[in-house]
Order: sequence, then C-alpha cells, then structure tokens
Amino acid sequence: MLNDIFVAPFVDMFAAPDFLMQVLWEGLVSGILYALIALGFVLIYRSSRIFNFAQGIMVVFAALTLVGLHAMGVPAWICILLTLGVMFVLAVVVERVVLRPLVGQPDIILFMATIGITLFLIGLGEIIFGGENKVMITAELGIPTGSVLLEPFGGLLILEQKDITAVIVAALLVVGLLIFLNKTRMGRAIRALGDDHQAALSVGISLQTIWVLVWFIAGIIALVTGIAWGARAGVSFALEVIAYKALPVLMLGGLESITGAIVGGLMIGMLEKLFEIYWGQPLLGGNTETWFAFVLALIVLLFRPQGLFGERIIERV
Amino acid sequence: MKRFTRLAAAAVIASLGAGTAIAEGLYTPNLSYRTGPFAATGIPLMNGQADYMAMLNARDGGIGGAMIDFEECETGYSTEKGVECYEKTKGKAIVTQPWSTGITLQVLPKTNVDEIPILAPGYGFSPMADGKVFQWAFNIPAGYWDAADMIVQYIEGQGSLDGKKIVFLHLDHPFGKEPLPLMESLAEQKGFELVPVPVGLKEMQNQSAQWLQIRRERPDYVVMWGWGAMNAGAITEAVKTKFPMENMLGVWWAGHDADLKIVGEDGKGYKSISWSFPNADAPVMADIKKHVVDAGNSQSNEEEMSGVFYSRGIIISAILGEGIATAQKHFDTAEIDPGQLRWGLENINMTEERISELGLDGMVPPFSTSCSNHTGHSGGWMLEWDGEKFVKVSDLLTANVDNYAELIASSASEYADANAPWPVNEDCEG
Repeated sequence: MLNDIFVAPFVDMFAAPDFLMQVLWEGLVSGILYALIALGFVLIYRSSRIFNFAQGIMVVFAALTLVGLHAMGVPAWICILLTLGVMFVLAVVVERVVLRPLVGQPDIILFMATIGITLFLIGLGEIIFGGENKVMITAELGIPTGSVLLEPFGGLLILEQKDITAVIVAALLVVGLLIFLNKTRMGRAIRALGDDHQAALSVGISLQTIWVLVWFIAGIIALVTGIAWGARAGVSFALEVIAYKALPVLMLGGLESITGAIVGGLMIGMLEKLFEIYWGQPLLGGNTETWFAFVLALIVLLFRPQGLFGERIIERV
Repeated sequence: MKRFTRLAAAAVIASLGAGTAIAEGLYTPNLSYRTGPFAATGIPLMNGQADYMAMLNARDGGIGGAMIDFEECETGYSTEKGVECYEKTKGKAIVTQPWSTGITLQVLPKTNVDEIPILAPGYGFSPMADGKVFQWAFNIPAGYWDAADMIVQYIEGQGSLDGKKIVFLHLDHPFGKEPLPLMESLAEQKGFELVPVPVGLKEMQNQSAQWLQIRRERPDYVVMWGWGAMNAGAITEAVKTKFPMENMLGVWWAGHDADLKIVGEDGKGYKSISWSFPNADAPVMADIKKHVVDAGNSQSNEEEMSGVFYSRGIIISAILGEGIATAQKHFDTAEIDPGQLRWGLENINMTEERISELGLDGMVPPFSTSCSNHTGHSGGWMLEWDGEKFVKVSDLLTANVDNYAELIASSASEYADANAPWPVNEDCEG
C-alpha cells in the first residue's frame, strides 16, 4: 500500500514523462479556465462584498447569446460585440433593479438576490434560446481546431489548438485585467471600494458606476469562459455546473485576491489532474476530481482561514 | 369594473370547463426535464412524446374514445423534484413516467402502495424485467442489461473478446452504474478485462482526466453509458485523443444527433445501440405533421424531428398508447384505471403487423410482454454516425436474456428482500 502511495506514482511519472506532460497540460488548461470563473467571483466580491452565485449562469447566458445571434445570421465578430452589449445591459439592469434597492442590506440578502438572478437568467435563456446543446462557432471566430502533435522523450503530447488559444486568450485577459485594475483610474476605484467602502465613497467614487463596471467585466470574463468551454463540448446549460469548480479555487486563493484566483485556479487544475491520474484512478477507482479540490481547499483553510492570498482577518472585540 | 367581473367570471367558467375535460381524459403525467444540465437530451424526447399524444387526440379523439390528458411536470432531472412531481400527480394518474433511473428507484416502492404502473422505457432498474417481483414497474421494450449484452455481442462479432480490454465509461450516477453487474459477469464469461471509468456530474464537460486514463489503459473498445452533456464531452475528448471512433459504442441514451453534430465528420464510426430508429416516411410522421405541426401545436422543428431522440419519444408514447388500448379492449371500457393499465402493459403484443397498423414502420422492433416479462426484450439495431446522421449498420440484434435470466431473478429477489415486506405477484406464472 505504502508503495502504491509513495513510490509507484512517481515511478510512473518518470517512466512516461510525455504522459506526465500531457497530464500537466490538461491540468493547466482546466486550471486557467477555473481561474477565469473565479476571477469573475472575486471582482464582484471585492467591489461589493457580494458572492455572485450567478457567475456560472452568466457563462452560459453569454455563450448562448453569442451562438444564438450567429444562428440568426449575424456575422461572428459582430456577434461578439452584440454579446458584449447584452452583458453590459445585463450589468446595468442588475445594478438598477437588484443591487441599488438592496444597498445596505445584509450580505446574505445580496447573496440570495444573486440566486434570484441565476434563476431569472436560466428561465430567460431557456425561453429565448431553448435548452438544446448548441455548437460553439469556433471556426467562425477564427479559433483553430486542429491539434499539435509533439514527441517529447520519444512519446506523444497532443495539444489541441483551441486549448492553446484558450490559454493565450485567458492569459491576455488576466494581464489586461491586472493592468486595468492597477494602472487606470477606474481600476483603482474598484480596488479602493474593495479596500474600504466608506472611505472610497467619501472621496467621490460612485458605487453605482463601479458596480455596473465590475458586473460588465464579469460578463466579459463569462463570455471568454463560455467560448473556451463551449468549444470543448458544446454550449448547454450543463456549463453552469462548471462554475461550482471555482468554489474551491476561491476557498484556496481567497475571495478577495485576484492573484489568489489565478494561482488557486492553476494549482487546483493541475493538482487535481495529477492526483486523479496517479493516485485516484489506481487506488480509489477514479472520479476524485469531484472532491479533491474541496479537500485541498479545506486543508488550506485549516491553516489559513482567509485562503492563501486573502487578507488576514482581524476581529476587534 | 363590470368588464373585469365579466372577464373574471369567464375565466372561472373556462377553468372549470378545462377541469371537467381533464377529469374525463386519461391522465398520463410525464416527469419531464426540459431544463437543467440534461435538457439538451430531454427536449427532443419530450417533444416526441407530447406530439404523438397530441396527434392521437387530434386524429382519433384520443385512444378508444378517451382523450389523453398528457401533462408534464418539470424535474430538471433532479431526483428530489421527480419525487415531488410523482406525489403531486399520483392522485389521478393512471401511469407515472419518471424519466430517470434515480427517480425510478425512489418511486419504485411507492408505486406498490399507490398501485400505479411505472413506465420507464429503456431505462430504470434492469431487474424490473421480473414482473412477478416488480408488478407495477415496466422498462419496455428493452432494459440496460439488454443493451450491455447486445453491445458486447456486437463487439464479439468483430472477433473473440478473450484477452481484450474494454473501458466502461459511465456517468457516476445510478443510471451509469446500472449495467455494471452484467458487464462484470460478461467479462468473466468471455474473458475480457473490464475497466470501469466513472464521470462525475461536474466533470461531464471536462473529461480530460478520464480520457487520459483511457489513453494510458489502451483499451480495445470504449463502451459509453452517457447521458446529457456527458456524451458530447466524451465524444469530443475521444476525437481529441485520436481514439478510433469505430471502437467506441454507447447505450441508446448516448446516441443523440445533436451531440454528434458537435464533432461532425470527426465522429464518423461512433456507434450506439438503439431500440428505435427515425423513419421520415413512416405514416405516423405524416400524421404528426398534419395534425400537430401544421396546427401549430408542436414545440419541435424539422431538424429535431428527423433525429433519433424525437422518434424515440414517439415510440415511448406509442408503447403507453398500446398498453392503454390493450387494457381498454380487455376490460371493455375507455376510462381505464391504473390497475387495468397494468394489465394492458403486461399484455402488449407489438407484432410487425401491429407496428405497421400504428404507422410506426421500421421505427421499433417487435416485442411482447407478459406478467412475468415486464421488459419485452425487443432487441435493437446498432446505429453508426456517418458524419451527418445515424444509420443502421446491423440487422436486429437480440439480447441473450437466458444468459442473465438468473441474474435478473436473483437481483430482483435481493431487492425484494432488502425492501421487505415487498409484495410479489403470486398469480403470475410466466
């Protein structure tokens, strides 16, 4: 048994390094997509202390809008612009209709409101687009669909071009987001609101504008995530489930940390794949990905309740 | 105000009228799932079911003079919601159609008490075939063990299975685990190595870990017990990992046109066993078009109607319709009760002639049921994706039921013992 846990997996890794590279690559792709979803949560939480339960359905809604518009004959790139427009309108509506009337209410009320948004978007999406699985317009968007075959160490490494594209686009999005948050006036306003609500308001930062902005950014992230996941296995309401994978990422990285979302996403993506392939499947019958990330996050929480990158919680009594 | 009062009175009268009409019909609720992660596969099935019943109502005035009150109760494929739907509809229902193995297992003991037949065509608990033990449950026209046996038979037709390796890729859910006992038994009998690979509900669209395992295992075949988003996820990963598609075979719920359209040409060669097949030229399709589609009462569309799942929905309603008609004839009454429907479902004799009379030519194989045989074991065809649609690539395959009759009997008896006191139909001789 000890051999199976401590020796055999590492022997397997060294015996087939190409396969190990494939596992790490698949983990990286999953991880970066988890990180994207987690980023959407973090941005909204930082600026408004709202845990946005609707982030998952926003991914579905954005992808469905894109595919649905294209089905109506709209050119692919115009569809992107129109979908961004729809996500902006959604951000405005959420701020006006849901968030503004609830300013000052306890966090749990705001959280429940996002559950309401989720249910509304599910219904609206189903009425407009139907529940059928749809094909992502990968080729129309110019996303390459072939695969790159490499032969490291005399073995085989398969890199899907759409996965490579997803990784590059996600990385660019993250870099762009970091630049926006750190170098622009609006970005600094979002961070200020996250650091100290009252102080930010007292220097004239508009709560309403920032809320619309962060929900819109979360909408952009949702669209990119929807395209990347949709290109893998189609666009359907099942995509919403993937958002739950971001929860352990948030626990691990911290609800308020953008770096935490990125590092947490990558860590979970890669570690859960490594664990599943080298320990889960041989020793536990597989399907450990459903719980591994949560257990990992719980272990981290035992030692750092605020997550790896969250701010230290100081309670004055 | 006067106008409002009149409108309100009209609404009340209309609702009372509607209520009366419903009370006179045969209430056949369907625990549907047009929403949630499995909606993509649920919608065409539900549309096929609903359109067939609507066609019977429009064309024939129902069945045997009784209108069919076909109502959907949305479960989203959630077992909890399914049980709620069952409780909500059981009062006046003559049948319950639970539409998930999880829901079927939950309502199975309840139907003994409520005395309502469960109709689970092609799904549910395989030992339900034993009508003596599961007197209220039917998985007509074929069960999961039939499917597993036919798939293994088909593979064996390509060459001996001795020493071969078969990965059993399945949803980690009661549905996905259902054929495991038979697959294990077949592996032992035929000498192949069985490698079960589960897919969690949250991993349906991201099966890279499962397919890395498949790559490592280097199996000769992959048998897929997939449903909903899992199918598209598995097929895209199979294409990605360059697994030979002709060696990948799925259960009938893993043979949905829309899932394969995602990979298109790359999915060529993928196979799925099926007890139903679309036939655009079948008279029933013309009748549905005339009485339902052209009347603007269908939720379907031309593309969906040409698919495997829509036509399966039609067959499912036709099976129920045949059970109703058989009972009406035997008991000489249009307004049958659940007990009479049970008799009807136990005495279906779907011959080629009857299939043709119903306008279902080429859409379902012949089968018959009895009080001890609640499945019918119709057999099925192996379908193959040709890049655009599914085509038949085999003659009718029939399951070697004798080979696992003992397993059915022992599993049924085990279930009854575990749920004692479990009523058994002692009058049933076979």
